[in-house]
Amino acid sequence: MNIVESFKIAFSSIWNHKIRSILTMLGIIIGVAAVIIIVAIGQGAQSMMTDELFAVDKNVIELYYEQDFSDEEGMMGDFYYEEPEITQEDIQILQALPDIRSVIATNSAWGSVTYNDKNAEPEITGVSSEYFSAQSIEVLEGRPINNRDNNGMNRVAMIDTVAREKLFKENEDPLGAIISLDDNPYKVVGVYNSPIPEQFRWSEGGEMLMPRSVIALMYGSREVDRLAVIANDSERIAETGWLAADTLTEHKQLENGSYTTYDLSEIENEINQMVLIMTLFIGSIAGISLLVGGIGVMNIMLVSVSERTREIGLRKALGATRGKILFQFLIESITLTSLGGLIGIGFASATAGLITLLSPIDAMVSPIVILIGVGFSAFIGIIFGILPANKASKLSPIDALRYE
Amino acid sequence: MMKLSNIHKTYGNGALQIAVLKDINLTIEPGEFVAIMGPSGSGKSTLMNIIGFLDYPSSGNYELNGEMISSFKEKQLAQLRNQHIGFVFQQFFLLPRIPAVKNVETPLIYAGVSKRERRQKAQQMLEKVGLEDRIKHLPNQLSGGQKQRVAIARALVNDPSVIMADEPTGALDSKTSEQIMELFVQLNEEGKTVILVTHEEEVAAHAKRVITIRDGMITDDRRQDA
Repeated sequence: MNIVESFKIAFSSIWNHKIRSILTMLGIIIGVAAVIIIVAIGQGAQSMMTDELFAVDKNVIELYYEQDFSDEEGMMGDFYYEEPEITQEDIQILQALPDIRSVIATNSAWGSVTYNDKNAEPEITGVSSEYFSAQSIEVLEGRPINNRDNNGMNRVAMIDTVAREKLFKENEDPLGAIISLDDNPYKVVGVYNSPIPEQFRWSEGGEMLMPRSVIALMYGSREVDRLAVIANDSERIAETGWLAADTLTEHKQLENGSYTTYDLSEIENEINQMVLIMTLFIGSIAGISLLVGGIGVMNIMLVSVSERTREIGLRKALGATRGKILFQFLIESITLTSLGGLIGIGFASATAGLITLLSPIDAMVSPIVILIGVGFSAFIGIIFGILPANKASKLSPIDALRYE
Repeated sequence: MMKLSNIHKTYGNGALQIAVLKDINLTIEPGEFVAIMGPSGSGKSTLMNIIGFLDYPSSGNYELNGEMISSFKEKQLAQLRNQHIGFVFQQFFLLPRIPAVKNVETPLIYAGVSKRERRQKAQQMLEKVGLEDRIKHLPNQLSGGQKQRVAIARALVNDPSVIMADEPTGALDSKTSEQIMELFVQLNEEGKTVILVTHEEEVAAHAKRVITIRDGMITDDRRQDA
């Protein structure tokens, strides 16, 4: 007797008891669906959190200045915090390090922008010419901010597509337009596409780029208040960060403080760890329903064995060996649970699709999860099918035939 | 040749032990038509089950063509039931949800015969028992006599040398019984060994040898002209 034949017998037996089979499978369906949905949500939440944290490229690492202060000063509460200025020379030294692809040195501001009767409140970043290649900014119209703008403190600005939409009509040419930022006039020289993924953009006001020297002047801020480096090798991001920080500390001959960095991948690992623990925890609760489902399958298989005692006796009289009877009942319970597993996966996929559609979480049902789902439900079929199948196979043919 | 020597069968244990068969000695040659007769409770069915490898004797030897059955493993016994013997039961024991032809095919599945050959042989056997127009019918669409014919076709499909029937006409009316018995006679004439268990004289009258069993012992063993 081959496998195909056993599956046929199994399917017809399941088909002949439709309602019973569906009720039996329900436990497996719910269990498999619950586990898959929870894993999908977990993975979705994890990638959402990491995406949000690492909206920038994974090979960008920030540098921070940390001031040393003695306990005394700290107790007195009157320590003086002074962060050293980052000069163009510092940037060039960092840029020259072999592991560093480029340096991002920016400052920022907020402001209210008006053009004609429209206005927007964009996020303003002060940049220099290197910024464009470092962040691979796509300039859609006009030109990027260049060194002349910075050196000459040109009152120019670039707007991103969101800000363009806020301030200009679609057919209006923004290039050369004079916009007013906090009542000071600036000329728009370019339009760019923000490198930030669409879902994380500042949709209220968009973004604007200006020469950082101009921002420093107009807002009284430091010329560089965010310093980050982009590593050539994202695998060595932490080392690169520390190299940059140490180089900078040494170069500037700092006495009261030092540059430091922190490794975002550590935070990422922590988040992943946390989500994994949550997923495992909730998943194992859902797994209990799989266990209950499995017991239901065992129960029904036992019922089926006693219902079909005579059939088993007959099959033995006709030449079925113990192994073949065992195999047939095992195939039947595996078919039952696998079918339940498949329905559960279908249900889970639909639910995951709905979650993705209706919530910000991208619930992902990966092929490997599907594979594990089917495999595991078949495994439940084996585990909970063994006992009834063994019971069936052990029946003596004559006792089975006489069974009333 | 089937040779039973000093076969005992007891059920239960200790004080509640019941001896069903006591010292049975019996030889059945190929091609015989044997009726085992006796009142209910005499042990005739148990004897048939032992002869047919459905049950084990408590003690004694059973030789089949010179081989000791007691040394056979479960798998070999299953194979013997499959290849050597065709069973026919009083209650037919057809699988209710599959058509006649599939029922007849069942022993061939366990014999590992290919699907095409199975279908072909099963149809041949149904033709042989006169049911060529009932191939696709489910058991509940068949009359008692037709059901027993399907069961006989099933017993024959693996071409066994022995047909064993336990009260094959017990659930049939007398006219149908007669037809079924004629079928057994025909099979015997074709060379099959036929062993049937009955308590009806009319049925036993078709056999060439009648063994009477009473209280677990053979009380009479006579040959007769059918």
